[in-house]
Amino acid sequence: MKAFAVVREAFASAISQPVASILTILMIAGMIVTVMLTTGRTVGAEQRVLGSIDDAGTRTIQIRAENGAGLTSDVLDRIAGIDGIEWAAGFSAAIDATNTQIPDGTRVPVRLAYGTHLERLGIPAHSPVPGGLAYASPLALTQFGLPDIAGSITLTTGTSYGMAGQLHTPDFLAGFEPVTLIPQPEVTGDETVNVLLVIADRPDLVAPVSDAVLSVLAVDDPTKITVQTSEALAQLRQIVQTQLGTFARGLVLIILAVTGILVAIILYGLVMMRRKDFGRRRALGATRALIIALLLTQIGLLALAGILAGVTASTIILALSGDPQPGWTFTTAATTLAIATALTAALIPALAAARREPIHELRVP
Amino acid sequence: MSTPVLEARSLSFSYARHTAPVLDGWDAAFHAGQTAALTGPSGRGKSTLLYLLGLMLHPTGGDVLIDGTSVSGLRDGVKAKIRADRFGFVFQDAALDASRSVLDNVTETALYRGQPRRDARARAVELLDRFGVDVPPARRPGQVSGGQAQRIALCRALLSDPRILLADEPTGNLDPATSQIVVAALKAHAATGAAVIVVTHSPEVAAACDREIRL
Repeated sequence: MKAFAVVREAFASAISQPVASILTILMIAGMIVTVMLTTGRTVGAEQRVLGSIDDAGTRTIQIRAENGAGLTSDVLDRIAGIDGIEWAAGFSAAIDATNTQIPDGTRVPVRLAYGTHLERLGIPAHSPVPGGLAYASPLALTQFGLPDIAGSITLTTGTSYGMAGQLHTPDFLAGFEPVTLIPQPEVTGDETVNVLLVIADRPDLVAPVSDAVLSVLAVDDPTKITVQTSEALAQLRQIVQTQLGTFARGLVLIILAVTGILVAIILYGLVMMRRKDFGRRRALGATRALIIALLLTQIGLLALAGILAGVTASTIILALSGDPQPGWTFTTAATTLAIATALTAALIPALAAARREPIHELRVP
Repeated sequence: MSTPVLEARSLSFSYARHTAPVLDGWDAAFHAGQTAALTGPSGRGKSTLLYLLGLMLHPTGGDVLIDGTSVSGLRDGVKAKIRADRFGFVFQDAALDASRSVLDNVTETALYRGQPRRDARARAVELLDRFGVDVPPARRPGQVSGGQAQRIALCRALLSDPRILLADEPTGNLDPATSQIVVAALKAHAATGAAVIVVTHSPEVAAACDREIRL
């Protein structure tokens, strides 16, 4: 009840002093716009650079097993117990296939796919014909002569599969293009795996996850295993993120410090202009704590309005200029810091307001 | 005789060290239902005394008692609460908040006492009507006359029906007719059982009070 009354009084005070309130809102909005158009733009660019590096497969571990290596599909069960893995699947060696209706047509490589999370590739979790349907990338469909995804393919082994859908080919499968997969939901664990693809949760986990996966391969001949990781890319990503992040944090601190000092100066001036008001409030029974609470609440409300205006303005400016948006995480952090800066800047003026002595403010000379 | 509502015992005050005291060992007692006028030449410490009695200044010596209880040594927050709950103040120039409406000014102290806003506004409207403040409640103090401003300040002071009403030159800037209204209001409030203390230079106001204390 008291808290609500304080908020209402702070709001009424803010409304009754339009010039001071608008000035404060503009200062806070300016603070946010400055942060968003400088550091926010840097963060947006950083995310775009990191996204480009990630597209190159910073988190991918590709393990190739030559014929006779002894890598089998039960490896997927073993690596399921390793932390830090976002996704994993195994693939057989490529087998050539053609459109069943065009036996002399283009030969396209086809692989059997093992794993329980193939939906990420656009393959349904449950197949009406388990192990009997194929899924192909747009390039493979074109090469098969099945652009409408209607028809079947026949492997060189003589087995035919209905073409059931189009794959969403992620970047880490780009090296397999043209990609055609035949998911194998029912496995015994003895099926030969030629390629094992593992995606780590984060780039910095690539090395430890790679070591852990290698330790559970259980192959017959380790010399026939080749591991390809993106550790160098992951390190590059880390360097880029660290350097750009340090620059961004430094810039934010400088901007907040400068604008915070300006806000404090303006607020102190406003408090001095209202010293008679605070003296009267003290005389009539307002405690020092209440005066501080009123002023901080008033500044908090104005800061919220300023932040709303600042975020809206900077979002529009960034959109119009075609620059990347910094994202919600950065925006939330920046707004939280802006409120904290405004309240910190208001603290000294609030303390000064609370110490106004009624006799000095109310006596008429 | 009954315990005074407000009492000063050996009250002393200096604005700075090594300066002559404004008050030195001053004693007085103020009883319920009485009006008292503090009079004397300028610079004798009348307003200072009023601020000391109103717990807005800390005495350099002596004590202030409310209903027989010493309050001078209390923490600032407790004194502020006492001011909000038990005192009503009328200042020399009304001291209204020019940025807020007349109604907001009259109900200002409700927040400090924790009084429900609705009750305070109803009481404020009643007081404004009683003292003939014939202006829209949404109007700002800058848009009313000096006499009306002082009556609005009086309404603010009476909002909580305080047991102690302190007035610093409440009629200083008023015409005789408005002065009479204000003095009548102060006496009427004393008649409800409150102690009313008025600093004044006006012989008429002093004469209208139950007692006069010269400084």
